[in-house]
Amino acid sequence: MKNPSTRLVHVLIGKSIVETLVVGALAVFTFITVLPPFFHGWSEVTETGISGWAVNNVSPWERVEVQLFVDGKFVGDAIADQSRPDVSAAGWAKDAWHGYTFAITSVPRGVHEARVYALHDSGSGMRKSLQLLGEPVLFSVDASGKIWPGPS
Amino acid sequence: MAGSFLVTIRIMSSEIKNLEITSDLELGRDFAIWEIISVVSSGLLMEWVVLSFAGRSKLVGGVPVVLALGFMLYSHFDRGETLREIGFRTDNFLAACRLLLLPTALVVLLVITVAWLTSHSILVAPWRNRFMLLPLWALFQQYVLNGFINRRAQLAFGKGAKSVVLVAVVFGLFHLPNPLLAILTFVGGLIWAAVYQRQPNLFALALSHALSSLTLALAISPKLLESLRVGFKYFG
Repeated sequence: MKNPSTRLVHVLIGKSIVETLVVGALAVFTFITVLPPFFHGWSEVTETGISGWAVNNVSPWERVEVQLFVDGKFVGDAIADQSRPDVSAAGWAKDAWHGYTFAITSVPRGVHEARVYALHDSGSGMRKSLQLLGEPVLFSVDASGKIWPGPS
Repeated sequence: MAGSFLVTIRIMSSEIKNLEITSDLELGRDFAIWEIISVVSSGLLMEWVVLSFAGRSKLVGGVPVVLALGFMLYSHFDRGETLREIGFRTDNFLAACRLLLLPTALVVLLVITVAWLTSHSILVAPWRNRFMLLPLWALFQQYVLNGFINRRAQLAFGKGAKSVVLVAVVFGLFHLPNPLLAILTFVGGLIWAAVYQRQPNLFALALSHALSSLTLALAISPKLLESLRVGFKYFG
């Protein structure tokens, strides 16, 4: 058997480069498919719970499904289809119907963290992913069960 | 004085030639290891990365396979290997079959005995039409495993235990994380690699491989073998 030529060495290096590019492209494609960077939104504490808005920039007329987690535990889900004219006025959405509200009723006294996620389907419903909307929101519940923004 | 100088020059030139030959041999051995790594990484890439990312897209899933196959074919061409040397031949078919007869029969008997002891039946799983393709699939696997990896392992480590074990480890590695299949293919890999080193005939190896796989697929409960799934597919 002959020794390998320089050309074979080049072919091996070329093959490795192509494989690296394929894997890289697949990683980017998968990330964009599973966790598309097109969701925008915000959450804030109100007197009764957590409110906010959610928009999918790729499909601006779509009503985004959102889920609330308090201290890492699932609390509930909702469709962001309530009126928020301030969101469309600020240019974040094409129409006003992107708001959501979660009532918080059974959270014990103390400081808690709320996170609202946009729910996204991919792979013809085979996968579901969650993306945080805005920032995590801190709130406190006092002895009377009233909700306050911030740690205290 | 001039004569002794010429003798010294000749000795030096002969030593340089020897060094070049040694260095060429070492390059050939080292490169053979890189060739094995490259083909194995393509297989693992397909099983673990591409299938998990690309899902059912056979077009994308086939990229590492096509690249590896293309590389192997070019490597044979570059090194001047013939189909006969690789093992696509018929002259030693019977000799290779004779070597494979006893281990294959033992494996088949062992599988049937285990099937009988565990489920009191020899045919546990249903027949599937895709089993008809087993001989071709076995021939492809034997070509990669022995026609390429075993030949490169022999270049790197010579004939014998080292190269045989390397081939078996690679074959077992391709069947992870399915524990039973990984152990069985490691043992099968040892037998087929050892036989190939004595009688390089891929058709005989494929026949033994197809028979063993068919017995396993029909006699052992798909639950125990996780339906022969390997790589990322094993989990789902």
